[in-house]
Amino acid sequence: MARRFSRVLAILAVLALVLAACSGTPTTGGGTTSGGKPVYGGSVTFAMNSDISNMDPMLSALFVDRHLMYAMYDSLVRVTPKGEIIPWLATKWTVSPDGKTYTFTLRTDVKYHDGTAFDAASAKWNLDRYRLTKESQRLGELASVDTVTAVDASTLKVDLKAPSAPFLSVLVDRSGMMLSQKTVEAGGADFTRKAFNAGSGPFILTEAVKDDHYTFKKNPNWWGTAANGDKLPYLDQVIIKPITDGDVRLTNVRTGQVQATNAVTGKDVPTVKTDTSLVYQEIAGIGYASLVPNRTAGFIFAEKRYVQAVSYAMDRDELLNKGPAQGVGVVGYGPIAPSHFAYDPNFKPFAKPDIAKAKQLVADVGKGPLTFELLASSGDAATLQFAQLLQSELAKADITMNIKTLLFNDIVALQQKHQQSGMTLIGWSGRIDPDGNVYDFNYTGRPNNDSGYSNKDVDSLLDQTRTATDQAKRKDLFLKAQQIFVVDDPARIFYSFNAAQLLTAKAIQGFEVYPDQLPRFQTVWVQK
Amino acid sequence: MTTYILRRLLLMIPVAFLVTVGIFVIIRIAPGDPILTYAGEDPNPETIAYVRAQLGLDQPVPIQYAAWLSRALQGDLGRSFQTHQRVTEAIIERLPVTFELGAAALLISVTVALVVGTISAIKRNSAVDLLTTSFTIAGVSFPNFYLGLLLILLFAYVVPGHILPPGGFTPFSTDPWDNLRRLILPAITIATASLAVNLRQVRSSLLDVFGLDYMRTARAKGLRERAVIVRHALKNALIPVVTIIGIQIGAIIEGAIITETIFFIPGIGRLAVQAIPSQDYPVVQGVVLVSALSFMLSTLAVDVLYAFLDPRISFGGAQA
Repeated sequence: MARRFSRVLAILAVLALVLAACSGTPTTGGGTTSGGKPVYGGSVTFAMNSDISNMDPMLSALFVDRHLMYAMYDSLVRVTPKGEIIPWLATKWTVSPDGKTYTFTLRTDVKYHDGTAFDAASAKWNLDRYRLTKESQRLGELASVDTVTAVDASTLKVDLKAPSAPFLSVLVDRSGMMLSQKTVEAGGADFTRKAFNAGSGPFILTEAVKDDHYTFKKNPNWWGTAANGDKLPYLDQVIIKPITDGDVRLTNVRTGQVQATNAVTGKDVPTVKTDTSLVYQEIAGIGYASLVPNRTAGFIFAEKRYVQAVSYAMDRDELLNKGPAQGVGVVGYGPIAPSHFAYDPNFKPFAKPDIAKAKQLVADVGKGPLTFELLASSGDAATLQFAQLLQSELAKADITMNIKTLLFNDIVALQQKHQQSGMTLIGWSGRIDPDGNVYDFNYTGRPNNDSGYSNKDVDSLLDQTRTATDQAKRKDLFLKAQQIFVVDDPARIFYSFNAAQLLTAKAIQGFEVYPDQLPRFQTVWVQK
Repeated sequence: MTTYILRRLLLMIPVAFLVTVGIFVIIRIAPGDPILTYAGEDPNPETIAYVRAQLGLDQPVPIQYAAWLSRALQGDLGRSFQTHQRVTEAIIERLPVTFELGAAALLISVTVALVVGTISAIKRNSAVDLLTTSFTIAGVSFPNFYLGLLLILLFAYVVPGHILPPGGFTPFSTDPWDNLRRLILPAITIATASLAVNLRQVRSSLLDVFGLDYMRTARAKGLRERAVIVRHALKNALIPVVTIIGIQIGAIIEGAIITETIFFIPGIGRLAVQAIPSQDYPVVQGVVLVSALSFMLSTLAVDVLYAFLDPRISFGGAQA
């Protein structure tokens, strides 16, 4: 049995290599072609919706930080807009038959912006720093790593404690970002906001004024090429600005002060779609919105039929289209997003509200009408508006939902201790492998399992998703688990996926929208 | 005078001390846990515990305060939980921006208030006066976040040519013209409310002074009306106006919090807005301390200014 498993893994590893070889030199996205042949030069100013907190991938805890990181750092592997993992600083990799050893072949033509060379020793230093530093935010992501070895200058070996199918996907983002040891160590405590010359990415950070702007100049020695063979990047300069107010952000785009943004509020989407001077792109993201019931003993929602009743009573279409999102996003029923390989478009257990079923479920419990409290984050009108819409939907099934607003941090603290009396309204920004959207949220005792959910069948299926390396098998396991933790014995109530948006001025070309919402500037060019 | 100023400066020490105690306690009473913000959406219990100990947040509040105070007395306000930047450095970087914005707002507020307020008082009950009175009511009633947005939209979509950009900041040393262009809308936003109050104050003070005997004497001497207004009326009418302006410096810092956010200006206000919800204690403490000191210093400056405006006011021992 073990031998057969090893043989399957070996075949898969070969297949992975063939696939990697087929992709050839890592292209960095095709870009849109409406503007003709790409031209070099120019500058793009991009607006994000809040400021970053940290430029060090090891310490970064905010999504927004990654806007800068994708411009200035390279990681070992990256993803395509379709979520496929592609070679980046690692040109190819093999996985041992037991699924526990990854051997990466690294590029030999890469230099950090400070002039030092990128090699296996540098990659080892980075991975060890992320996984062994006590205050590292990457400890959880790299927990499966046992040892990292620089075999030679261009070969890196990573031994895992146990087979971990999502391991490669972790190296796409901050846990796989490579920085110059010399610059990181010289930066000391100030490195977190003065990460000049630390990366090897397509752009070099030259100026960082917190709350105002971050300026990047072209890295003329970057190794990447476009699908058409052009040396990348095209742009001479990128400026990233934090503009927190949605109206002001849009006004800056419409007046040409800013040429691109990935945050357009729902109410403004119809306007930008009709503005001929702008191009609006939107795809389903990988983040989801959810209601988190407290499933632990002694709380209302320990009774799973109550959770099911709320889920059946909800009108997800109305919540997305008539609520504050104004149709921006995709109706969803589980945490596995449309761009995940494991997504099942036919999984629609609550396609229409079923009021009769909701009432029946509550009646079956036999304790009278269901009344519970929803904790919603304060200070955000859209959240409250959403909660009120939900409240009116549940009322149709005679379910009384009382809304209580608290600070976001307080809600997180309460649900982590499983002390919310009813439900909370908390989503997840999403990860490119479904594991990052599923495992920690539904597995007994895991840190993000805020509903205090425990189901042995789910635990067993999710364990198998980590050891199986065949994607079809993993998909099957994920879908079996999803059926349980969404429908049969719900851990959470999922109702929509976020949208990845990109709004650009018409002259901006080659800007692709990724499900993770982050901008990649290397393929962007400005039409003259 | 020197003794008076020194005494006032010494008095600031206990006030500043009380301010630090107050803010230290208040932000810790506020619900929430700063470490959770630090940990982001993927909290690892071991990291949380380690970071909490590293930042000293596992200690009792009085011990945390004593440690902070002893460092603060040596000029070290700690490092931001979020960005790891030294708080003193963050404040020093941003203070000139807020100062420039505040000074521009004050300049607009005082200049327009003096000119229009005087005209309004001279031409009492005229169309100009009516317009001024209406403006003062509107100016006080208009929230500055709304006014800021309206101004942005006005210059983006109604006024052609995008003369005044919708936000952002360019240092004066980099591009003086762009610096001024970007300063006008936020300065007007901050200035409007205080301008309305100042305008009304100038008008009513002048009307009070107009009825006094020495005004009649000045006119009887055959002085020109302009000299009567500027030298005799305005100077004497300024004392209450200066008092209000002094108080308004505090309001300008408060206005900067909202205005800097709307116009994405990297000043002290924006620093506070980012630090408060994420419970970045060292930054909040630093910003509040600096704001309190600025307010105390501006009040002292106003008191000193009285002596120049009215020689009858002295700061001798008898005043104590």
